[in-house]
Amino acid sequence: MEFANFPFLSAILLSCVVGLLVILFIPEDRKMLIKWVSLIFSGLTMVLSIYLFFAYDKSQGGLQFVEKVLWVESMGIYYFNAADGFNLPMLLLTGIVLFTGTLTMWELENRVKEFFALTFLLVAGVFGVFMSMDLFFIFVWYDVSLFPMYPLIAIWGSTRKEYGAMKLTLYLLAGSALILPGIIYLFVNSGLNTFDVVALMQPGTFTPFQQKFAFILLYLGFGILAGVWPFHTWSPVGHVAAPTSVSMIHAGVLMKLGAFGVLRVAIFLCPEGWQYWAQLMAVLATCGIVYGAFVGLAQTDLKYVIGYSSVSHMGIVGLGLATVTVDGLNGAVFQMFAHGVMTALLFSSVGYIYEKTHTKMIPELGGLSRTMPIASGYFILAALAGIGVPCLASFWAELLVFISAFKTYPIRGALAIFALVVGALFMLRVVQRTFYGEKNEKFAHIPDVPFGLGIPRMILVAVIVLFGLFPSVMLDVIQVASIPFISGLP
Amino acid sequence: MTSSWFQDPTLLAAMLGALLPFVSFVLIIVFTRPYPKLSAAISVASISVSVVCAIFLLSSHWHLEQPIQYAGKWLISGEMYIPFGFLLDELSLLMLTIVAVISFLVQVYSLGYMAGDPGFARYYAFQSLFAWAMMTMSIAPTMLQFYIFWELVGLASYLLIGFYYEKFSASEAGKKAFVMTRAGDIAFFLGLLLVLLNFGNLNVLDMNSVDVTARMSPGLITLSALLVFGGVIGKSAQFPLITWLPDAMEGPTPVSALLHSATMVAAGVYMFARIFPFYSKSASAMAVFLAIGTITMLLASTMAIVTRDIKQVWAYSTVSQLGFMVMGLAAGSYFAGVFHLTTHAGFKALLFLCSGVLIHEYETNDMFEIGKHGGRGLKIPMVCMTLAAAALSGIPFLSGYFSKEAIMGALANLHNPIWLVGGLLGAFLTAYYSFRLIFIILFPSKIEEVHHTEHGGHSAGHGHDAHHHAGLYWVMAWPLIILATVTVVLGFFQAPLENFLLGHHGVAEGHGGGHHAWLPWVAVGLAVSGVGLAWLEFGRKGASQVGFVERIEPVRTLFAERWYMDHFYRLFLDYVIYGIFSNLFTRNDRRVIDGGIDGICRATVGGGWVLSFLQSGMLQYNLMVMFAVLALVALYFFF
Amino acid sequence: MNSLYTYLFIAALLFSLGIFGVFQRRSLIGMLIAIELMLNAASINFMAFNRFLAPDPIVGQIYTLFIMGIAAAEAAIALSIIVAVFRRLRSINIERAQELRG
Repeated sequence: MEFANFPFLSAILLSCVVGLLVILFIPEDRKMLIKWVSLIFSGLTMVLSIYLFFAYDKSQGGLQFVEKVLWVESMGIYYFNAADGFNLPMLLLTGIVLFTGTLTMWELENRVKEFFALTFLLVAGVFGVFMSMDLFFIFVWYDVSLFPMYPLIAIWGSTRKEYGAMKLTLYLLAGSALILPGIIYLFVNSGLNTFDVVALMQPGTFTPFQQKFAFILLYLGFGILAGVWPFHTWSPVGHVAAPTSVSMIHAGVLMKLGAFGVLRVAIFLCPEGWQYWAQLMAVLATCGIVYGAFVGLAQTDLKYVIGYSSVSHMGIVGLGLATVTVDGLNGAVFQMFAHGVMTALLFSSVGYIYEKTHTKMIPELGGLSRTMPIASGYFILAALAGIGVPCLASFWAELLVFISAFKTYPIRGALAIFALVVGALFMLRVVQRTFYGEKNEKFAHIPDVPFGLGIPRMILVAVIVLFGLFPSVMLDVIQVASIPFISGLP
Repeated sequence: MTSSWFQDPTLLAAMLGALLPFVSFVLIIVFTRPYPKLSAAISVASISVSVVCAIFLLSSHWHLEQPIQYAGKWLISGEMYIPFGFLLDELSLLMLTIVAVISFLVQVYSLGYMAGDPGFARYYAFQSLFAWAMMTMSIAPTMLQFYIFWELVGLASYLLIGFYYEKFSASEAGKKAFVMTRAGDIAFFLGLLLVLLNFGNLNVLDMNSVDVTARMSPGLITLSALLVFGGVIGKSAQFPLITWLPDAMEGPTPVSALLHSATMVAAGVYMFARIFPFYSKSASAMAVFLAIGTITMLLASTMAIVTRDIKQVWAYSTVSQLGFMVMGLAAGSYFAGVFHLTTHAGFKALLFLCSGVLIHEYETNDMFEIGKHGGRGLKIPMVCMTLAAAALSGIPFLSGYFSKEAIMGALANLHNPIWLVGGLLGAFLTAYYSFRLIFIILFPSKIEEVHHTEHGGHSAGHGHDAHHHAGLYWVMAWPLIILATVTVVLGFFQAPLENFLLGHHGVAEGHGGGHHAWLPWVAVGLAVSGVGLAWLEFGRKGASQVGFVERIEPVRTLFAERWYMDHFYRLFLDYVIYGIFSNLFTRNDRRVIDGGIDGICRATVGGGWVLSFLQSGMLQYNLMVMFAVLALVALYFFF
Repeated sequence: MNSLYTYLFIAALLFSLGIFGVFQRRSLIGMLIAIELMLNAASINFMAFNRFLAPDPIVGQIYTLFIMGIAAAEAAIALSIIVAVFRRLRSINIERAQELRG
């Protein structure tokens, strides 16, 4: 462990909080000012997270940029932030998605102030979960990130927004209702009177039975957020209902929060429980992969398609985690990152189309490629990344997961690989129906994406292609954490 | 990669040649899309560099002792090391040259063919993408890198087939191509995984070595060989995944020439040759491949006999010839298959490009129409096309003759004569359908007004004046002439090529077995009789213009409907995939899972409603409860 | 006859009549009267315990005076509440006062 000279991690958190406060003080009608302030602060978080990602010393490994302060002595709660190979990609992802999401909502007019304030609150919670190494704070930040989702979706959303917002919030609260007992169980049974993850991680703290019991609670609780089948139905509904940047953050980052929670809390603290429940995890993950692909085939709303494709891809993450191998873990974390960026791009593109055409229903769209080639191009590239075309980031992630899955669970691995064909089918079908075909007269007058609005999408494209061509940039960081972790397993 | 990579000319040439088109692709997509001429210039320039590099590499390594490998780190995960690099041996250099040269010729040709198309820049971007992917694939040192670029080639194909995306049939065809090849690729990937997990690495040279038998059981080798061959079935449109290739003709003709005849579909056969020693270790797998190749060859030939569309004939022919190459390789003759791949690339590309000129002029794909409108008047395309058709049929001393003889020789060395019979039958059919097309155009039953393109009012996008027209015509004509020359001359290079390919390593090949002197005569005889039959039915004056098959209506329908394979796929897709799985899972989602959740919500609300009856608002009930509790507490405390 | 238990019994009787009245009467005034009954029962209890167990300072009777005073004040308050309720509901039937119904 290496203590930080400058608290970068807290700086990221602070940018969100200070941004929130500054926005709260700006009068409502100064919309452009609010937007610029949001942009500056979100850009700050992105810059900081990029810096951290590259400043991490790979040769040394372990936890770096540590900040540890005693918070509540009687209960052993520490304000403990650290960066390791697992959460650096997540921090990077959140920074990128936040920045591009803010830019994507540049044309928002309705209640701008509340929107950006709530977004910053949401993202502060997300950052907090990723960087925190103290169970108490993980849980607190998790709930902080949960609540703003409700107003964000219910006020600025579209299709069935009240239902979607309510369902999402209740479902995720139910998840946290499973997590909290798990955490408390661990706290009580450790005998150490501390919430510190590093202390609790030491082998021998928990008996195998305790680990198995806690693991299933935590896995289900966090898994609900991660979209584990069969607890995934809040996700497509929530995606559809949410406004664009909220969908980007939701699908891109929030669902990863769940998977990351499984990793950081359940897997770190209960490794024997992990190995015990791995079979079940693999079954559920494979179900999710295949199921998401097939159900996506039948959808007619663009955002539902993306929503179910997200379920499918998060299944890949789950499968990687279930293999209990280095490759699987690497693939899972990489997929979290790659899918996050890719889905952000998908939603960003759809958002532009929805804004201009006011419809998301595929039968009503069609022939858009001639009218807005650039917007179509972004979507098509993201769709191709979703299918797993090589040299785009998610290919490597899927490759690693499939290799390790096939090694450990041949049949489930083979099934998951077959789902690739179905995935290709439905994505290409969507692309064809929405973009190709005769030029659509109804939308012929719509302008294509101007340069300014195109910036967030270009950033996302660049990230996808960059990590597709040079995957080792990401993998080297992840490996530094995963290899010692797996080799240290009992 | 060491710091001296600039100084190694081989490496430099390989990198430049393979990677420069990628730079071109990125430049065009990001920056120069609004400038069509600039985009084309960038693309053609990069492919020219590639051609130069490829020829340089081929000539300087003509007497290669050992294959040259370069590898640098791409990805490390745990104990898995995935390198990125180049493998330069005879086969890969040959393929690299073929791809580079034909890409170059096609791109030059496209300057004329695609002139005026609104997507001109996009076309060249995708051409560059394809060139990059295909070339890097050819010189890949590991099967994983091979697979990666194989998929990228498929992507380029999807983008180019669906190039005219406003046409529904074009985007359908692109999607179909991608999904069908994806299905084959899944098997490919599974096979690779089996090899990776059991053998340890996917390096091509290692896979071809004898170590494999040491570490993998015969059953496992057969299984993985069969699975990996799935990729060949998909990419080279073998049975049962034939039908995407004819549909792929929706793309522009130069695309069909490049991808769907000479290079991309040949990638499957190339893969077969690449890990030929690996496949040879499993005799049962090879037998399966032989059967698949034969079935494909014959099926596709039957389909070609009855079609009216020029491009479809050549498409079916490509499938058929690929099957023939598979037969040659599966029969054990490495050289025969590769040689035929080389010659076929030349004359098939030529056939498509010539057809392209005809289609461009007459704006129809129908051969009868072209004939009627005086297609025979275009001299250079017609001469080149006839030459190429003759080569395809195996007329002596053209390149096709030599390569087909090589394969026939390999087939004759097999125990079971049925394969040779199949091959000969295929040769007959090939000659028949090729010359059917030639004669329909050369000797149409009647000629309507000679349809020249001097008049204005051409379709939008093709408007050009006579002067411009002549310039474009020559841009399209030169590649034809070059390819025709190659077709005529290449056959005579059989011996040096054979030495080159087989040279120093004992690659398993069945050449040298009994030289069947009667074989060339029989084969040529069949070819000539095929031409003769075509002449009888289509060529001579007063011919009926109806083929012998077309007289039998049910047979004709069977062939024309592609043996109902497409119908089967459509039904499978609709009923099984959509109807059963998709429907089932969607209903499950809506009714069961969501229903369950909503049910829980309703139950909770209902429970609350029931409990609310306790809150009657009546003061006295509250007081009663209070009193009862107090009494109980008092009892508890005092007793 | 003149023992402690007699008076306790009477007080208990009065108290239970009072409780019963609170629960059973429909009009608010009736409930008020029943509450007064309970208060008086408590007073009797005080005086009885005082007289039979610790007679010297007559604390019980003094407490009873207190209780009567408090009862008077409480009756005043209760009646003003009843008047306010009456103004709202136009009735002193307690079954009308159910706005807190769930």
